[in-house]
This record gives sequence, C-alpha cells and structure tokens, in this order.
Amino acid sequence: MRVPGAAYLIVSAILFTTGAVGVLVRRNVLVMFMCIELMLNAVNLSFVTLGRMMHALDGQVAVFFVLVVAAAEVVVGLAIIVAIFRRRASADADQINLLKW
Amino acid sequence: MQIDYAAVAPELVLTGALCIVLVVDLVLPDNRKGLIMPVSLLGVAGTLLALLALAGDPTRTTLGGMFVVDSFAVTLKILFCVAALLTLAMSYDYLRKEGIHQGEFYFLLLCSLLGMLTIASSRDLLPIFVSLELVSVPAFVLAGLQKIDVKSNEAALKFFLFSILSTAVMLFGMSLIYGITGTTNLAEIAVRLAATPVLRSIAVLSVFFVVVGFGFKISAFPFQWWVPDTYEGSPVPVAAFLSVASKTAGFVGLLQIMFIAFHGLADVWRPFIAAVAILTMTFGNLVALTQRHIVRLLAYSSIGQAGYILLPLAVVNVNGGSVNHEAFAASIAYLLIYAFMEMGAFSVAVAYGREGGYFIDDYAGLGYRAPGLAVVMTVFLFSLAGIPPLAGWAAKLFIFRAVIDGHEYWLAVAMAVNTVIALFYYAKVVRRMFFEPAGDGPLGVKVPLLLQATIAVSTVMVLLVGILPDLAAHLARMSTLV
Amino acid sequence: MDFLAHWGLTLSVFLPIVGAALIAFTPKEQEKTIKFLSLAFTFLPLVVGVLLLRVYHIGMTGMQLETNRSWIPSIGARYHVGIDGISLPLLELTLLVTFLCAIYSLKWLPEPHNPKGFLALMLLLETGMAGTFIALDLVLFFIFWELVLVPMYFMIGLWGGPRREYAAIKFFLYTLFGSVFMLLGFLALYFRASPHTFDVLQLQRIGPSLPSGIQNLIFLGMGIGFAIKVPMWPFHTWLPDAHTEAPTVGSVLLAAILLKMGTYGFLRISIPIMPHAARTYAPLIGALAVIAIVYAALNCLAQTDLKRLIAFSSVGHMGFVMLGIATLTQIGVNAAVFGMVAHGVITGMLFFIAGSIHERYHTREIPQLGGMALRLPILGGLLAFTAIASLGLPGLAGFWGEVLALLSSYNPLSALSSHTFRVYMVAGGIGTVLTAGYLLWMIQRVNLGKVPAQWEGKKLVDVQPLEMVAWAPLLLLTLGLGLFPRLIFDVTTHSVIGLTKLLGG
Repeated sequence: MRVPGAAYLIVSAILFTTGAVGVLVRRNVLVMFMCIELMLNAVNLSFVTLGRMMHALDGQVAVFFVLVVAAAEVVVGLAIIVAIFRRRASADADQINLLKW
Repeated sequence: MQIDYAAVAPELVLTGALCIVLVVDLVLPDNRKGLIMPVSLLGVAGTLLALLALAGDPTRTTLGGMFVVDSFAVTLKILFCVAALLTLAMSYDYLRKEGIHQGEFYFLLLCSLLGMLTIASSRDLLPIFVSLELVSVPAFVLAGLQKIDVKSNEAALKFFLFSILSTAVMLFGMSLIYGITGTTNLAEIAVRLAATPVLRSIAVLSVFFVVVGFGFKISAFPFQWWVPDTYEGSPVPVAAFLSVASKTAGFVGLLQIMFIAFHGLADVWRPFIAAVAILTMTFGNLVALTQRHIVRLLAYSSIGQAGYILLPLAVVNVNGGSVNHEAFAASIAYLLIYAFMEMGAFSVAVAYGREGGYFIDDYAGLGYRAPGLAVVMTVFLFSLAGIPPLAGWAAKLFIFRAVIDGHEYWLAVAMAVNTVIALFYYAKVVRRMFFEPAGDGPLGVKVPLLLQATIAVSTVMVLLVGILPDLAAHLARMSTLV
Repeated sequence: MDFLAHWGLTLSVFLPIVGAALIAFTPKEQEKTIKFLSLAFTFLPLVVGVLLLRVYHIGMTGMQLETNRSWIPSIGARYHVGIDGISLPLLELTLLVTFLCAIYSLKWLPEPHNPKGFLALMLLLETGMAGTFIALDLVLFFIFWELVLVPMYFMIGLWGGPRREYAAIKFFLYTLFGSVFMLLGFLALYFRASPHTFDVLQLQRIGPSLPSGIQNLIFLGMGIGFAIKVPMWPFHTWLPDAHTEAPTVGSVLLAAILLKMGTYGFLRISIPIMPHAARTYAPLIGALAVIAIVYAALNCLAQTDLKRLIAFSSVGHMGFVMLGIATLTQIGVNAAVFGMVAHGVITGMLFFIAGSIHERYHTREIPQLGGMALRLPILGGLLAFTAIASLGLPGLAGFWGEVLALLSSYNPLSALSSHTFRVYMVAGGIGTVLTAGYLLWMIQRVNLGKVPAQWEGKKLVDVQPLEMVAWAPLLLLTLGLGLFPRLIFDVTTHSVIGLTKLLGG
C-alpha cells in the first residue's frame, strides 16, 4: 500500500502540536525538553516528506543539519539541567524562580 | 565545487584561532590561563584584518550561492568582531575576579562569533538556521558559566529552553516554506512565492512561524521573557555580548529573510510587525521604569531598543518599495550605533559592579565618588535615550526618517512617546549618580586598563557619531541588501 | 573682516564649548583658573558678537554672514548658519547675558560649591542657546535646541532649591516631549518638500505651496515643541517650578534666553514656512496668549515666593510676545521681537535681584521681607526700577513690546478676524492693569513698610561693586531701549517686513 505524502505531513503537524502543547503544559524541565525534541522531529519528518514529494535531495540534507544541531543542543541542555539538578535536586520548572521581574 | 577561499578567509582565520585557543587551554597550567585572552584577542584581530581586506571588493559568492560576501556582510561582520573585541577586553578582569574558567569562556565566545560571521553571509534558510544555532548554543553555556551560582544556572536554562523552542517553531516555518517553494535559497523563495499565489495562506503561516523564531533572538514582545532573567544571571560581559552581538545576529537573519525572501508578502506581515515593534518598545520601556538592578534595567532598555530597530520593517514595500532602502539602512545604522552605547553602558556596569554592586541604589552619589565613571555612564545612558548630540540621537533620527518617509505617522508618534518614557528611567540612574549625596559606596573606583579601553572606545564612538552621524549613516546605506 | 563674515557666527557659538572642554580638563582645585576660563570664554564670544555688528548690514533684508557647509550628506542636513534682523538681537542678548552671568559667578556660586561643573555647564548652555538662534538647518537647529536640555537639567537638579529634582525632571521631560514632536514635524516637512531639504531658507520658498491640511498637521507638531518652550498656556506648568528651584544664574539664563527659543522657533520656522497654517492657528495662538496674560497676572497676585512671582510674570510677558506674533502683522512681529529682548533684559535683571535678596535674607518669601528700601536702599531701588520697567512704564524697555502688541491686535492681518483680536486686545489690556497691580503690590510689600523684627540688628550688605558690574549693562539697556526703541526696531524692521510679506500682509 502506498501512503500519500499528505498523510506524513499531517502526522508531522500532529507531532509538532503535541510537542508544543507539551512544552506549555508540563512543568518538568526534562519533559519540556523532550517535547521540544518532539517538535524538532516533526520538522524532520516534514522536511523528508516534502523533499521526497518534490523528488529533491535538499529536504533530506536539511534533516541532517537539524539532527546535528539538535544533538549539540541535547548535550548542552542536559549539561545545564544536570548542573541545576545538582544544586537543587529538582527538575521542576516552577521551582526555578530566583530570577523574576 | 570551487570554493572562493578569499571569501571565507575571515571565517577560516577565526576557526583556526578557536582551535588554537582550545589547544592552548589544554596545555596551560591553571594559573597561567590568563594567556588565552591575548591569543583570542589576536584571533579576532586577525579575523578583523581579513575582513578589512575584503572591504570594498565586489560581491563574492561561493558554496553554491549559499555564502555571499557583499558590503552588508562585511559591515556586519566587522561590527560583530568589534563587539567581540570589546567583550573580550571587558571580560578579562571580570573572569579572574569571579573565578570563571577562562579557557572555556574565550573558546565559546569565539564559537558564537563564528556563527555571527556566517549568518551575515548566509543567503539560504539552512545556513541561516545553522549559523543562528552556532551563535546560540555556545551562548547557553556562556550564560551558565558561573557553575556554582544558581542564578547563572537558571539564566542558562531559561535561555536554553526558550531558544530551542523558538528554533523548533522557526524550523517548522522553514519546512513549510520549503514545501511551498521547493527551495531554501532566499532570492529563489521570493521569486517562487510571487509565482504561486494559491498557497498564500500557508506562506503567511510560515512567515509567522519564522518571525516567532527570530522574535526570540531579538527579544521582541512577547518572546522577551527570558531576556532580563538571562542577562541578570549571566556573567555581565556575557550579558553585554548577548544584548549586542547576539541580538544583532538575530536582526541580521531577520532583515535578510524579510527583505529578500518575504518582501512580496509585506502587505500581510507589515501590520503584524508594526504591532510587535510598538508593543516591544512600550513593554520594554514601561517595565524598565520599575527596575532596581542595573543589568535588568539595561536588559529592558535593550528590549525597548529592539522595538525601535524593528520599526522600519513596518514600512517595507509601502509606496511600491521606494522606502525599502532607507528602512533597511535605518535598522543597520541603529544596530551600528546601538552596539557602542550598549557596550559602553555595560562596561561601566562591569567596572563599577565588582566594587560597588549592581543595584541602582549602589549608584547613589557616584558622581562624587568616581566622577569620571559617572560622566561616561551619563553619556551612554543619554545616548540610549536619544539626547543630541550623542550618537543614539542620530540612530533614532534615521528610524524616524524611514518611518515618516513611509507615511506611518502614528508609528512615529508612538515611538516618540516611547522615547520620552525611556528618558525617565535613564534619567533616574543619572539622578541617583549626581543628585544624591556620596553615600557609603567605594571611593574612587579602580578601573582595569582593558576596561578603560573599552569605555574609551565606546565613548569616542558615541560622541563622534553623534556629531558626524554620516559616519554611521553612510556605512549603513552602503550595506543594505535592497 | 572676511574671516569674520564667514566664520564669526560659528566662532561665537563654539568658543564657549571649547571653554567648557578646557574647564573639564582643569583640576577641580584650581578655582581661579576655572573662573578665569569661564570669564574669558564668555567674553571672547561677546567680542566676536560685537565685531559682527560691524560686518552686518542693518538695512538689508534676508540672511547675512551665512556659512553653508556639507555636514550629514546622507540625510541631507547641512551646517547652515546665518543671521538676520530677528536673530541678531537675540544672539547678542545671549552672548551678553551669559557673560554677565560669568561675572556674577566670580563671587556668587550656588551650593554645593563646585565651580568646575557649574561653569562648564553654563558654557555648554551658551553654545546651545546661541546656536539655536543662528541655525538655518532644521537638524542643526534641533541639535542646538536639545543641547540646552542636559546642562539645564543638571543646573536645576544639582544646584537648585529644595524641590530641585522634581523641577529638573519635569523641565527635562516636558521639553523632550515637545521636541520629539517638533522633530517629527521637521521630518514630515522634509519629506513633503520637493526637493527634500532641511534648509530653512529653501523651505520658506517651498513650504507655502504645501497643501493646507499637511501644513496644519506639521504646524501643530512643531507648535507643541515651541509652545512648551515659550511656554504658552496650558503648557507652562514646568516653568514656575524650574524657575523657582533653579540657582540664580540658571533662572536668569532660563528667563532671559531659553524661553526666547520657543518664540524664535515660531518666527523663524513655523510661520514663514507654513503661512497658511499660521493664519489658521493665529486666533488660537492669540487666545492662548491672552489667557496666559490674564492667568499669569492672577497667579502672580497669589504668589508669596518672589522667584515664583517673577516666573509667573514671565508667562504673562511671553503671552504678550505670542499675541504680537499671532497678529501676523509687521507691527505685531516687531513688537514681539522687541518684547523678547526687553523681557530678557528686565526679567533677567529681576532674577539677579531675587537671587541677591535670597543671598542676603536666605528667604524669598515676600511676607518675611519688607522695608528693604530702608535696610538696603540701592537693592530696593533697583528692584523698584526693574519691576516698574517690567510692568511697562513708558520710557523703559518693557513699554514698547506690550503696547505695540496690543496696538497691533487692534488691526491684525487682514485674513484674520479683527473682532476676535480686538477682544484679545481688551483682555490683554486688562492683563496690563493686573500686571501693574501685582508688581506694584510686590514692590510695596518688599520695599516699603516696617522691617520685620527678625532682621533687626542683623547685618545686611547692600549691593556690592561686582554685582553692580554684572548688572549695569542690563540696567542701562532697560533705560536705553526704553528711550531709544529704534536701537532694536531699526535692526528688526527689514527682516520683519520680509517675514510678513510671506504671509500676504
């Protein structure tokens, strides 16, 4: 069975929305972080699909860029979260409140 | 594919320099880490030389049209290098006193600078995205470099979360654009957008996503929440770097995309941008009124300034695009001038902060304890407020000029009102410094030599450009893309 | 002479700023050097100013001694300066009054004692004030205009009275608010003019042909800026505070010169460039002017602080100036320029005296003074003389500006409703009577009567030689201009005729 390209795009949009809602709703920094990763992967999916639909390679190339950048961000982000966790033993975004207004 | 090595020479020099910095950091014993600073300084200076060698050359295009070196790119790269030099000079003593790892700091700073250099040359969505991340990712670490300080950790975390969230949104917009047009090249996008009117609504949606992504980088309302927190928590020179260089990088990307790729849709996004610009400046200026911490005050002021810089985008393509050139030049000129006054204000904050503190209360009576420092701070603050004959006035004049040229009188009036509101909090600091008795702060602040140099350079530029605004205006007009 | 004709104006305007820079680099302890520098760098511009009179042709219409050089080519702003009969008296007044202030400051400096800062700011102020009167390019005009803000802000805020900070920031915010709108007006004018230009003289040729709707809008924008500076009712509320709190020299400069920048802006920029809008707004300006006259006079009756009283009287006097301008006639505008100079001389003098009174009594509350003519006969006499000049006694300088302004409103420009202006004339006439009333009452309360018990046995020094030196020129001018009004009118008339021609008068 051949799945039409549009279906992939719809999945991608659903993933992206799920991620976005997750970031807004969840308070745990790690979960927020994962939701953002979900959004990035939605982007990847749509790039791949669009590239495939247009029979062009640059969509796939873009995915590589996004993957690499996302990997770099994961490294840095986890490092920051670990640093915070060490000092506060909590990953709840609501407790990160020293800096306000 | 042939690569024009002359065109990428500055980036190559900088890459070499940051590799050396990394290695030197590994080899040097802990008590000699200070040596990395001159090495980095030399690296940036070398980059600057390579850039100056490119200045005035005809446009070079390489890497399959993704990398362009024109006067726009060269001017902004020079600005980035100067901002980095000033930050380096500002950081040296600060890092030693705060006990921050110097090797990592300089390496990360240069990495971020590399991203800035490449973004100025990128004329394609993908390199713009990669460069922007190259600017931001090292900056996350820079913000959190005071590892033992919880505030610094928080600063980094907020910066990080907001940043990647906006990146994700921006990328989604980019993927939509790619889907509609089948290309990521900015000029091509413009051509194909004009040819495919059917998918206009998706195009508008994707423009919206991209603007949201950049809105975060340039701290536009309502994506500015991280700014004051991050600036306050980060090491102060990092805050200066973020508020000048990182913000300018965001604007560089945004200006390119809006003016080159999306100008055909200007009718749709113009009111949106106008609203964002006005909200940004009003929010920044109003909240700044209540601030008690000098870095937070500067942070909110920099949000206000971002609103001014954004405003010329609200007149793109009115009158059939006759004002585009002026509007673009106005934003560039503002960025050029803004860099020096903001850097100047931050360097005074660094110079005084170590001994005297970072709260505005701590500035009471500074005019009697350290008159020199108080006078230059006044110069920078009044320049930011736009009082002639200081450079900030000329910057505002260019914006007003572009906006009125585009017949957007109400925007000009809104900005004028904002200018008056802003004066109030700048004058508040000045008032504390001069109109209050000396207080019990430190008497006669000792300013390290490098910091003196930063302050001196900024002061001279602010005064010089204020008296001869053409220095900035001419450069800006040469360096537009439209 | 050739050099003087080309660069004399520039020299007279920028010498003070050079002096300010020199003072800034002089160590704080060397007070003598600092005072000498301030004296020298206010005297030299005055000398240049007097020499300029020799190269200036009094009988000529139009700009003279012009310099026109490239400055900011990318936005079309030029360094264009020049003077005509309207600006010449104001320029000379600026140079003279600042010099007198420098003399006065040799001995009397406000607390906290800091001659370096104070005198440097005074010199900076002079550049701004003098520059405003010679600038013929809107951007240049704006720079000079704004240059005045910061020094005055510090002067009031640092050396002022008890409510100095409030007064300083109020002055700053009000003026900046006005000037940003003025700047928007300038820019709108620039883009409406074809070819685009900031040059005042070119705009005077281009401006009148702009559509009337645009003219009205731009006139309004600029008008806010100028009106706040004048100050016109209801934008005057910053003035009593600023005047009352400012140190003596600050009040003198504020009254004698700063206020004139607003009225000068109307005469040099708004009216000639947008004559149509000027005709439209003239009745409104006239109405606000007479309201100011009557309102200020009534307020003066209620004041107990001597400086505040003089400050409110300034609002009234500037009302007469604006009334003269609003008639848009040759007589009216002549009267306005004369009134500006006379007010500068007389009110400047009054503030000097108020400062000296405060110096001696450490209070300016009128009820606490009294019998000054007995204790300090010379100071009392000078106060009486100047106050009488201020109320417009014939034979003294205050007379001509007021009476001619009223006279001209009997017969305003033919395009204006003469009925309206005759009502203004009557109201203004009532204002004159009230003015005479409050000033005479003030003299009576301060000079006459019994010396209050608290001053009995206290040593009070009468006018000292240095004060006399600083004041003599103003006193002589008060008398001289009153007896020989042609000293001013001969200079102004030709330029005023040129101006009113643009209005179709």
